[in-house]
Amino acid sequence: MRQAGKYSGFMMCGGISGRTGPHSLPLARIKKIMKKSGEDVKMISGEAPIVFSKACELFIEELTRRSWATTLQGKRRILHKDDVASAVMATDIFDFLVSMVSETASPSEDGTLPEEEETAGSS
Amino acid sequence: MVDNRGNSSNNISSDSREGFNYNFAGDRHHHDELVKEQDRLLPIANVGRIMKQILPPNAKISKEAKETMQECVSEFISFVTGEASDKCHKEKRKTVNGDDICWALSTLGFDDYSEPLKRYLHRFRELEGEKAQQSKANSGGEDQRNEVVAVSAATASTTSSSTPLMKFNMMNERGNSSISRRY
Repeated sequence: MRQAGKYSGFMMCGGISGRTGPHSLPLARIKKIMKKSGEDVKMISGEAPIVFSKACELFIEELTRRSWATTLQGKRRILHKDDVASAVMATDIFDFLVSMVSETASPSEDGTLPEEEETAGSS
Repeated sequence: MVDNRGNSSNNISSDSREGFNYNFAGDRHHHDELVKEQDRLLPIANVGRIMKQILPPNAKISKEAKETMQECVSEFISFVTGEASDKCHKEKRKTVNGDDICWALSTLGFDDYSEPLKRYLHRFRELEGEKAQQSKANSGGEDQRNEVVAVSAATASTTSSSTPLMKFNMMNERGNSSISRRY
């Protein structure tokens, strides 16, 4: 995307997120997803996808951190889909995701996952 | 999946749901459906990388978990955009801007994101302003630059780094051509 080069200097200031390099998420794709969210969404300012690229990063970080906490509770080192589902259930602000993760969740959510690759050593 | 490959017959007004006119609709049609599906998700590589960055080095992430995260992020974008868009609609504005996104995040409980993002957005706008002024100045000559930078500094009134320039500007507004101070 043309804009990515222009703003790479901005990101490389390091003052905001401390990260170097251009935006970590593709702005054009973000814009497409925004447009699909509703009929009303017709015009989107240039800065909105940029704000979202940062917001999505923060979102992914938070959800990942919380999911990993569940992984650790199960004494595992592989973050599974169900860990993400657990994190969603446990966090109020992620309520909007509940229906989505319960559609995709496997039946056994009580920690006894059939596809678990590492056993907790409990015998 | 209709196989129209090598078919030169008139399937031009195809029954394709997408309404595309392909003579070799078969695989291409399926491919287009996949492409559309991908469009509503952020790339798994990018998502996976962000996840990996905040986990310990020995952590592993299942592919399904990354896919689930992709879906969650898209849902997040839709959710927040919907809220921001409603606000714009109520205020009879057509364009969803960065402030609307910040507001929506705050309203929906993502307060922790709201403040860093506002700073991010503010900084972005500052830099945008400077860049725009620079390109104007470059076309108009060097002398204009100082004046132009002072103007952009005055508009970004909350930044403390521009205080000296603001003073300069204020003196201009008073119409003092000589650099005199009031004691």
